[in-house]
Amino acid sequence: MIEPVTDLAPITALGGTVPRSEIFGALTLSENAGLALASLALRKDQEMPKPFGLPLPEVGKAVSMGGLAAFWTGRGQWMIEAAGRGETDFAAALKAEVPKACVSEQTDGWVAFDIASTQGAAPIEALMARLVNLDSTGFGPGCATRTGLEHMSVFVIRRSEDRLTVMGMRTFADALWHALAVTARRLDD
Amino acid sequence: MTRLSGGLIDRSRPLNFTFNGISYTGFEGDTLASALLANGVQLMGRSFKYHRPRGVFAAGSEEPNAMVELRTGARQEPNTRATVTELFEGLTARSQNHMGPLHRDFLAVNDLLSPFFAAGFYYKTFMWPKAFWEKLYEPAIRKAAGLGSLSMLPDPDDYDKGFLHCDLLVIGAGAAGLAAALAAGRAGAEVILADEDFALGGRLVMEGDLLDEALATGWVATVKAELESLPNVRIMTRTTVFGVYDHGIFGAVERVSDHLPTPGDKVRQTLWRITAKRTVLAAGATERHMPFADNDRPGVMLAGAMRAYANRWAASPVKRDDDAIAIFTNGDDGHRTALDLIAKGAKVLGVIDTRETAPKFGDYEVFAGATVTGTKGRLGLTSIEITRGGRSEWHSVGALGIAGGWNPNVHLASHHRGRPVWNERLLAFVPSPDGPKGLIPAGAAAGKGGTAEALEDGMAAAIKALAELEISAAEISLPKAENASAEQVAFWHVPGQKRAWVDFQNDVTVKDIALAHRENMTPVEHLKRWTTLGMATDQGKTSNVSALAVMAELTGKSIPETGTTMFRPPYTGVSLAVLGGGDSGPLFRPRRLTPTHHWAAAQGAEFVEVGPWMRAQYFPRKGEMQWRESVDREVLAVRAGVGLCDVTTLGKIDVQGPDAGEFLNRIYANMMGTLKVGKVRYGLMLREDGHAYDDGTCARMGEDHYVVTTTTANAGLVYRQMEFAHQCLWPDLDVQLISTTDAWAQIAVAGPKSRALLSRIVDDFDLSNEAFPFMSCAALTICNGLRARLFRISFSGELAYELAVPARYGHALMARLMEMGADLGVTPYGTEALAVLRIEKGHAAGAELNGQTTAQMLGLGKMVSVKKDSIGAVMSRREGLAADTRRLVGFRSADPQTQIMAGSHLFPEGAEQNMATDQGWITSACYSPHMKGYIALGLLEDGAARLGEVVVAANPLEGQAMKLEVVSAHFVDPEGGRLRD
Repeated sequence: MIEPVTDLAPITALGGTVPRSEIFGALTLSENAGLALASLALRKDQEMPKPFGLPLPEVGKAVSMGGLAAFWTGRGQWMIEAAGRGETDFAAALKAEVPKACVSEQTDGWVAFDIASTQGAAPIEALMARLVNLDSTGFGPGCATRTGLEHMSVFVIRRSEDRLTVMGMRTFADALWHALAVTARRLDD
Repeated sequence: MTRLSGGLIDRSRPLNFTFNGISYTGFEGDTLASALLANGVQLMGRSFKYHRPRGVFAAGSEEPNAMVELRTGARQEPNTRATVTELFEGLTARSQNHMGPLHRDFLAVNDLLSPFFAAGFYYKTFMWPKAFWEKLYEPAIRKAAGLGSLSMLPDPDDYDKGFLHCDLLVIGAGAAGLAAALAAGRAGAEVILADEDFALGGRLVMEGDLLDEALATGWVATVKAELESLPNVRIMTRTTVFGVYDHGIFGAVERVSDHLPTPGDKVRQTLWRITAKRTVLAAGATERHMPFADNDRPGVMLAGAMRAYANRWAASPVKRDDDAIAIFTNGDDGHRTALDLIAKGAKVLGVIDTRETAPKFGDYEVFAGATVTGTKGRLGLTSIEITRGGRSEWHSVGALGIAGGWNPNVHLASHHRGRPVWNERLLAFVPSPDGPKGLIPAGAAAGKGGTAEALEDGMAAAIKALAELEISAAEISLPKAENASAEQVAFWHVPGQKRAWVDFQNDVTVKDIALAHRENMTPVEHLKRWTTLGMATDQGKTSNVSALAVMAELTGKSIPETGTTMFRPPYTGVSLAVLGGGDSGPLFRPRRLTPTHHWAAAQGAEFVEVGPWMRAQYFPRKGEMQWRESVDREVLAVRAGVGLCDVTTLGKIDVQGPDAGEFLNRIYANMMGTLKVGKVRYGLMLREDGHAYDDGTCARMGEDHYVVTTTTANAGLVYRQMEFAHQCLWPDLDVQLISTTDAWAQIAVAGPKSRALLSRIVDDFDLSNEAFPFMSCAALTICNGLRARLFRISFSGELAYELAVPARYGHALMARLMEMGADLGVTPYGTEALAVLRIEKGHAAGAELNGQTTAQMLGLGKMVSVKKDSIGAVMSRREGLAADTRRLVGFRSADPQTQIMAGSHLFPEGAEQNMATDQGWITSACYSPHMKGYIALGLLEDGAARLGEVVVAANPLEGQAMKLEVVSAHFVDPEGGRLRD
């Protein structure tokens, strides 16, 4: 448990005091309020760093190691994720790790919805087919991309066969949850 | 009842339905059309223009006549084709386009007036008096014409959308499509097989032909079972591929629950966007007819459709079993219908064959070298006139099938301007070789409509398509089949004096085409528009080629010389609801909520849409009767004490790197690289053409770190422009950008008591004017350790700050500031007060930065630095812009309580008001509680030199005009002392 840094009480992107989670048949949608995010962009001629020992992934890919993960977001750019550290100054920690690189705090720039399936890949892929124009056969575990979802810009990360994370702009959290939940509910019907 | 034996209907599952209030029974597997025919119902509707009685004409989606209003209440849907409506228990349908009962339509008087309703009559009639068109003629015509009616109730059903990807998309599941899908499926390719029908098989299940010496249904079932067992094959029935779009994307609508009484928990339809690497177009062919006199009576239909009703649906086209059926044909295909009907036990009068040497394939009479030259029967066919060798005689029949040849369904192959090619042997247009890339027509759609050749062609198309993808597909063992004889002659219509319908749905006759020819509307595009041929909901599927043939005959040209019609999406009608893809009302588009949204909602705020954002517009208090009371109170609270406003919506862009300063120098018109760490500067960006683009602040948070703010409206655009400049214009600069708009909740704390309020929440931070003067910025902590950013900037003209914290704390910060500032009179304010405050201070905003204004016009000309180059700087100095004398000034009304209208144009007093005397316009206007009257900002020629002058603000369109005094744009604290104290 990380000690609170302030006497102000945070709310989640969906406006709750606790993250929202809901089950739709084989799929569970969960708001991941604890995920810390910081962007990392290399400066010119900077060698590829390994922040916290994490090897930075190739184009269109994601990696994870312990509570840390990274996915590619652009040429020489990655988003670094740290589980359970949403209320800490993770950007500062990352900057200390790679002082030369450009680091920006992104934790509250995004809302992360984790989607887990109890019946393998099929429900995840059915959900994807309704929402994003990605060929799920070419979007297996370890893939990540930025795409459009109901007019919103999102990151989609295939954590494993049966787990997917969709990250949208935090201020769109309600609209994104609505899109995911309605689709998941329809798949359950 | 005229139900025949056999068929693919489930007689153990009867279904009750009503048509025009009369109850009937059909079976599972029936369409509404087949069930009505089986109940002896021929009359199904009235025609569009002449209100002629009409019956079913086809057996598929090409149907021009049998259109009904399906269901009731909010689900009532007009113009639904009975031929593709699956029967369900409790189905309710009504015929449409008639006044009074269907069998006695009062508007049938139009038929008597038909000489006046010829092609082009709308263009020639009702021209005078002009004013009558909108109020009298058009409403009357619309009431009399048109098709079905809308319920005018909101659609109660849900719609969905989705995306699919495949190696091979097979469009159509007939002989060619099934062979293609099976070959590709066995090769392991990702296959989607789509068919608009609810059953697989296409014509295979509508013909009596044998596959491997058994009914084709057996082979279809075997193939279906195998395809269903293959995980790489997705079968999509009830799915119409309606259009081909760029990059191999196909639009398709799946009718998920149109075959059910109500969708229940399901969606009604799903819009699929299918990205296919290759496509086999196995869409089959549509039969055409041969127009002859009075050919539109119920009971006259396509011979192939008659065959389909008999074989698949066990439905006879006649009202009574003992009514005879005749076939009118120009080739061997018509004889197949006669044979199938005889095999089913129907009574066949014979085959009227236009060929002198007509063959005979069975025990029926052949009228060789004959044509049908007339029909009788008010509400349904009772007799036909057969003419041969100049001699005519009438025969009693209850139905007449017409076989005029088959047109390949080239529609989708034409969607990328692939022009169909005439094939003289087939007497039909076949798909262009220049159609959509990666699309291979096969089977009947490619002019290979014989069963054996369609099977072969479908398989070959799949193997060829997959070879291009380097997927090796083996030949499959195809069932033994034959190619029915397709011998025919070019016979297009029966000449005569009476009306002969070409396009049934739009009531276009051979005479109309002849009239179009006489009036020189001979190019096919003109013919279409002049006569409206092919422009009804069926898009002329059964009429286009016949019309071309008639026009070719009239012009003495060949059919390909006459032209061809181009097809555009959609192949069949697609509802707007499914194109909308789901959500409606407030959920129609995603909304962005500010970090304090829930707090503001709890305070009873009124919200306003600002692009995708929902922003608090004002916070009404008890007793405030109208919005201005709330806004005035909020404005005065800021000017006298302290107010809070969520300004998170302003764009925030993190700019980092050793070249960040240089990059910003090139982005902003003014100098930014010289900004000191811990300082903020107002910045102005220009467009490439030199006009003002966006404004905001730029804060230097560290040596290599700047935070740029943009207006709410331009947040995305500015970020995009900066990325473009970074990636494409100056890739050599070592700079990195990322949006942080959502990451930080930003709250404006404005008013003379703002410092006092903030001092209560900051952790050990010196807010004094000396330590943190106007235009300072700092990273600090507040509320016992929370990281935050503080900017001393002002939009209101008062002492003011903007405080940013990680977004999740915005809600609590707002509540804390309200709590801590209670004794200071702290007041939340919304966008209305924000706007009043900035107009009072003379700050430009969206209304002034409208893309037509320059830095000079806004009084910011000196900001465009001449010491450096920046985007738009050179263009801003061009004569056309630099010589513009309009300047932003303020205005006060002679009567302070008279509202000034933004958008009014400015004219000299006493001058005539026209374009030549126009001197500018009012950009923003409001009631100023500070000035106790209406004030405005506007752009006026030589504005800066005209303070004190009186001008007229006018809206000549509405006859409005009012006198205004030109004043400084700064109504509040023009010296700027307040924000610096």
